Amino acid sequence: MRRAACAAAFLAATSAFAVDQGDRLPDLTLPALQESAPVSLAALRGKVVYVDFWASWCVPCRESMPLLDTLYKRHRDAGFAVVGINKDVAAADAERFLKRVAVSFPLAADTKDAAAKAFNVKAMPSGYLVDRKGVVRRVHRGFTAETGAALDGEVAALLKEGS
Amino acid sequence: MRLRLIAPLAAAALLLAACAPVAPYQRGYLARDDMSLDGNFGTAKALEKTHEAKEAASGGASVGGGGCGCN
Repeated sequence: MRRAACAAAFLAATSAFAVDQGDRLPDLTLPALQESAPVSLAALRGKVVYVDFWASWCVPCRESMPLLDTLYKRHRDAGFAVVGINKDVAAADAERFLKRVAVSFPLAADTKDAAAKAFNVKAMPSGYLVDRKGVVRRVHRGFTAETGAALDGEVAALLKEGS
Repeated sequence: MRLRLIAPLAAAALLLAACAPVAPYQRGYLARDDMSLDGNFGTAKALEKTHEAKEAASGGASVGGGGCGCN
């Protein structure tokens, strides 16, 4: 009994502030990674949004970033937005990565870990698919080709839902 | 008896003070060249490259990226 209580307390402590399925998207405004306007998550309400935490040192991100860019270009006009939150220590590393893997969706910096802490990111990359009402509907931790294929269907389905 | 219990606990408390948890999103710090386990990163990389060529063991040591807690 006591062991069960201990396990429950431990689980509660480790997952205390994790953003998961069914939770609301935190209202955050982050500085842009490159020269552009700050990225506000609240301003994206009414759109289907994919918030992706990525870094140049994250190996699966080399696969996920081009795929997210394709998805973004395909569904942008239907109301789909992607926000890439960068977790590099030095902005120069991110720049070098983006020279090889150029993306067209907005990118934000998170140098003080405010966003990563708000979402309690548990793996890299971590992606949060949010519906038009601002509710997280799917969390993808890690990324493979299957994740990309599943994501395409999930985005299309959410775009069909009304706000 | 009590000492036998307290001594390891005290030792653990002292040693664990040097440990800091690294969140998955902070692993960029671990991916830095100067965080390499070898003192001389350049030489280690050259030796590894030679080893891989000789033993056909590409990727056998470690893969760049620092590990991201995924997949």
